[in-house]
Amino acid sequence: MSGDANDALRLIRDSAAAIAPRQGDLGRIRALRFARPGFDRAVWRQMAELGWLGLLVEETRGGSGLGPAELCALAEELGAGLVPEPLPFAAAIAPLLPDAAAVIAGERIVLPAWQERPNTLAPGTATRFAGGRVSGTKQFIPMADGADAFLVATADGLALVERDAPGVTLDLAMTQDGGHFGTLTLSNAPATPVPGRIEPALETITLALAATALGLMDRAFALSLDYLRTRRQFGRAIGSFQALQHRAADLKLQLELTRATVAAAAAAPSPAAISRAKARAAEASLLLTRQAIQLHGGIGYTDEYDVGLFLRKAMVIANLHGSAALHRARFAALAPDITE
Amino acid sequence: MDAAALDALDDEAFRLEVRRFVEAHYPPALRNPPKRLHWAENQVWYRLLAEHGWLAPGWPRAYGGMGLSAAKQLIVIEEFERHGCARTNDHGVVMVGPLLIRYGSEAQKRFFLPKILSGEAIWCQGYSEPNAGSDLASLRTEAVIDGDDYVINGQKTWTTLATDANWIFLLVRTDKAAKKQEGISFLLVPMDSPGITVRPIINLELHDEFCEVFFDNVRVPRANLVGEENKGWTMAKALLGFERIFLGSPRQSAYALVRLKLLAERMGLAEDPTFQDRFTRLRLDLEDHKALYETFAARLRRGEPLGADVSMLKIHQSELFQRITEAMLEIAGENAGLLEPMEGNRALHPAGLFIQARPATIYGGSNEIQRNILAGSVLDLPAT
Repeated sequence: MSGDANDALRLIRDSAAAIAPRQGDLGRIRALRFARPGFDRAVWRQMAELGWLGLLVEETRGGSGLGPAELCALAEELGAGLVPEPLPFAAAIAPLLPDAAAVIAGERIVLPAWQERPNTLAPGTATRFAGGRVSGTKQFIPMADGADAFLVATADGLALVERDAPGVTLDLAMTQDGGHFGTLTLSNAPATPVPGRIEPALETITLALAATALGLMDRAFALSLDYLRTRRQFGRAIGSFQALQHRAADLKLQLELTRATVAAAAAAPSPAAISRAKARAAEASLLLTRQAIQLHGGIGYTDEYDVGLFLRKAMVIANLHGSAALHRARFAALAPDITE
Repeated sequence: MDAAALDALDDEAFRLEVRRFVEAHYPPALRNPPKRLHWAENQVWYRLLAEHGWLAPGWPRAYGGMGLSAAKQLIVIEEFERHGCARTNDHGVVMVGPLLIRYGSEAQKRFFLPKILSGEAIWCQGYSEPNAGSDLASLRTEAVIDGDDYVINGQKTWTTLATDANWIFLLVRTDKAAKKQEGISFLLVPMDSPGITVRPIINLELHDEFCEVFFDNVRVPRANLVGEENKGWTMAKALLGFERIFLGSPRQSAYALVRLKLLAERMGLAEDPTFQDRFTRLRLDLEDHKALYETFAARLRRGEPLGADVSMLKIHQSELFQRITEAMLEIAGENAGLLEPMEGNRALHPAGLFIQARPATIYGGSNEIQRNILAGSVLDLPAT
């Protein structure tokens, strides 16, 4: 990677600190949990001012023309901060939208709606779009309650549907992290066609989710290390016990494997590389956050202590856009045969 | 092409040049040997390397080396591995040369370095002892000054290829009163000295790669001390250079995974979904290992030193290698117990590879020690 590319990534990470400081307290995140819409439009506009919503949009259309490596760096920091705003979802589809200016400015929030069954990366095809009307049901739309419109994948192409249009129903189911999934039911809802395909954007989001998982497990591990250094039992820091030291060493190894594979996928984002990254990130983030609870002991099982927030976030991210098993199978199907 | 011209190439051009060199010169009969070769078998390669000036990639050119950067040395190792080149009796080149170049007297450099390059001095390493393995600093083999000599008594073990060597570099205790790391010195000893006995150890591969070496009132001149007396531990630690990345090279696991696939095909399991999921997990572990390895290689390319975190590579590689061979054993049926390769095919030897993988988590600092290092030096956890 060239020095310039490294500088761009550092700038992105530094800018993320404005909203998700690595050492910051999680008071804002706690306050938004289990509430509607579960995130803050003022913060969304701040993200827009930082240029994040137009990150992947070409410069000629008012974006920054950056790529998946920068989005991953950002997603990692937002993951470490447990930020509830669905930034990667909106940023990934922004290049597809005809009215990108309002989206880039943070005035209008458009989220993708493509899924019709659990655990898949393939847009559902039971939703139909004909005569300017869409009918069908889309599931598992993260933070759907905050959207002004949805970019809906149908068997007949992409359709833009306004949240408050007739024939649009949105049902919410709360998620462990304090956010929610929306189920969007469309009955002859008016829609405008949008050219292009959603699949590349779904790949980008999948990769960004791997980076999100990396960020949250990194911080959960840092919290655990702090605890191991300071918590005393039997007259000594518990981090001096070899059983815990060796476990920490193994967790560090999984963390760094995840970091390396996410970086490799961000630098050369093929579907096989993305599946590799998501498979590792899903398993490792659940491992590190589960172990973070265990290493903290009883205090880790309280809602008051922050470490549990990371486990609950990992539970949502791990299977979003495909479980580890799905991505292992996809990797096996896509990757070239092994040779010596 | 001389060493200076090679060093001036960019990395990719250099890699092609190394590849061209091994393809042109490496003896085909010695590719991918199933066991570590003895000097009698590998000296042809050692001498070819010496003849073309390729024996000592890391030594400065003034001493007959190639003077390559760490990044280029890594490329040499990677390309030699890729081609399946045997390891030579390389302790002189890898350990003794750099030790003397850094700490040796002028007389020692003049005497030993040309003999290493010519293959006249073949070395073995006298570090471990029966009661000083992972806890190496507790070593007890002692050297006592008597006139112009040191007199050595004690025992070394796990001495690789000691039967081939005519010199041994030794860590000995020269001050019993000092704290354990502070009373250790480096001595260079001819293996034909009176009082030295070598006994080969047959390992689980039924191979005599390791030996015990006994010292019974062995005399060497005081001039064979390297550097200052009682500073041996510091020197030994300083010698642990970029080569530590070598222990984490994905080569062994990559080699084993291809053989696992071959075995699965032979056993009719290649399409079995349970096997496929297990295989894909192992494959992803290997791919992610390569990505992690590459981040360390990139540090070397930028001229940065490796930190203690390189221990991660050793732990993961060796345990992955073992897990792959464990999968082989599990699917091999009764063949898991065979002493020789299946059907006379060297590529189908699950039992052999399984046994070969056992010491990977022990040598080069056991994985438990590596985890201690990670916990202390990388994660900054308090001392046990």
